[in-house]
Amino acid sequence: MHAESFFFCCCLWKCVCVRRRSTVASLLRRRCANCFDCPCCMHTLSTRATNIPAPLADDPTKTTMKKAYYLACGFCRWTSRDVGMADKSVASGGWQEPENPHAQRISKLIEYYQQLAHREKQERDRKKMARRRQCMPLAFSQHTIHVVEKYGLGTRLQRQRPGAPISALAGLSLKEGEDQKEITIEPAQALDEVEPLPEDCYTRPISLPEVTTLRQRLLQPDFQPAGASQLHPRHKHLLMKRSLRCRKCEHNLSKPEFNPTSIKFKIQLVAVSYIPEVRIMSIPNLRHTKESQVLLTLTNPVENVTHVTLAACEEEDPDDVNSTAKVLVPSKELVLAGKDAAAEYDELAEPQDFQDDPDIVAFRKSNKIGFFIKVIPQKEDDSDVTVTFRMRHDFRNLTAPVRPSEDGGDAAPEAIWLTHHVELRLGPLAP
Amino acid sequence: MSDPKQMTAPKSAKIAAGAVVCVESEIRGDVTIGARTVVHPKARIIAEAGPIIIGEGNLIEEQALIINSYPENIMPDSEGVEPKTMTIGTNNVFEVGCISQALKIGDNNVIESKADVGRNVILTGGCIIGACCQVNTCEVVPENTVVYGSGCIRRAQSEKPQPQTLQLDFLMKILPNYHHLKKTAKGSGTPLRN
Repeated sequence: MHAESFFFCCCLWKCVCVRRRSTVASLLRRRCANCFDCPCCMHTLSTRATNIPAPLADDPTKTTMKKAYYLACGFCRWTSRDVGMADKSVASGGWQEPENPHAQRISKLIEYYQQLAHREKQERDRKKMARRRQCMPLAFSQHTIHVVEKYGLGTRLQRQRPGAPISALAGLSLKEGEDQKEITIEPAQALDEVEPLPEDCYTRPISLPEVTTLRQRLLQPDFQPAGASQLHPRHKHLLMKRSLRCRKCEHNLSKPEFNPTSIKFKIQLVAVSYIPEVRIMSIPNLRHTKESQVLLTLTNPVENVTHVTLAACEEEDPDDVNSTAKVLVPSKELVLAGKDAAAEYDELAEPQDFQDDPDIVAFRKSNKIGFFIKVIPQKEDDSDVTVTFRMRHDFRNLTAPVRPSEDGGDAAPEAIWLTHHVELRLGPLAP
Repeated sequence: MSDPKQMTAPKSAKIAAGAVVCVESEIRGDVTIGARTVVHPKARIIAEAGPIIIGEGNLIEEQALIINSYPENIMPDSEGVEPKTMTIGTNNVFEVGCISQALKIGDNNVIESKADVGRNVILTGGCIIGACCQVNTCEVVPENTVVYGSGCIRRAQSEKPQPQTLQLDFLMKILPNYHHLKKTAKGSGTPLRN
């Protein structure tokens, strides 16, 4: 569930914190003011400069080299000259987006509906307030309401027709007490005659390079140009960083840094930093129905000692879908030392004595051990040999607040045993 | 250049004055290189099945391979095989790691890095073959076409790509400071070292 987001662009232009209200980013439709997208392949456009001879301001007969800037795409080699956009003399900020021909009508409609929504909200508020005050007389006639509103008492009375149609609302004439100016719109007119298709519509051969693809066309919904020569670049969308919360307890799980140049997190609670990691170290040649030993490693990400038990999957395990081999995992409990960040610097560290069984544990190195499992591939087809088993380990939640126990015992949090389903893909059988 | 005994005696490269050809590049067979062409070290120009004529103002970068090789189903020693000349025009750019086997390349083309152009393609002029694109068709690529993307989609440009004059001038000044250059041989088999 996303809580908040920060906006920034690939050019790190702006980092705007957007919570619920509209800000500058939404005013610009969440697009960067400086950067453009190639209309052809949607990569970022870069500004290139050329030297063109231009007449000097003082002396029109002499020419001097002036810099002219144009936009170019590094991937598909589209340039702003392809659509006829003239080169600009300013490096950035000179590019203008083409005007939407319907922009005026759309903005008028938006204003009208905004006003309408505002009025309806006011009506609802009035109803709510009037219900609470039951002693208030209710005015039934429209005339009375007009008069009352004219004299500034309008907010207390209400119209007793909750299902009032919108036309009645629009029928209210302008009053001096009202702040907003009423906006009228012309309804859209349906035309009987539609422009006919050109006669050679079906016979004219199409020149594919000149026709835009659907994707190129639909990325510009205001214009939807059919010809490639009308594809103008659009401003780039802003990228965003999100923070995540738990669905159940609303605890913050992942919160990135505000600074767009930083990739770190303020809060990052991910499973990888709590669950021991299983990695494949070496795989021998796997042969059908022959038992081979695969070397795996287990790494302990937490700082306390972890105990891990492995078990083969049950017969009817619902997670066990892909396994194509039988596996024999060590039955003894494996002990992992805690992760010690200073271990590499501490030369006098005493090696902890764990008494490992050399048949099971191949090696042990700080918080990592290597152990063997026996794999017997069952299927002879070309697919990869897949092995599944269950891993059970103890987990101590060190981030939860520690409740002081009644007998004043130690404050170590209780160990919870978690079981996970592990699936390993060991590659194809040896030829 | 169209010597019938070409297959037996490899000719030397004819390098025009004004061309900068580094000695670390590999040039085999009958190759003619025009003026103001720059051949980087580790570029390979191999004229196996016929001579190669390279025009002026071309830029052939490292690990580019321009090869006039035998078509796959023809053995080198079979009779009746005419040596075909590979012609490359002016102001072309062969970027790093590209492979060009096209027999006829016009002017102002750009073959980007790791592109692969087959033998039966004819690049007219102003074409850009994008990075890692393989063009193995049997066709004449129209002028000012750009081939790009993993699906080798095409589009038409409005103008040809700019000639790399600035880059060429820079390289012609800088490369001789760091590399020995190949000069054309005067009738002898091995190129003289600078």
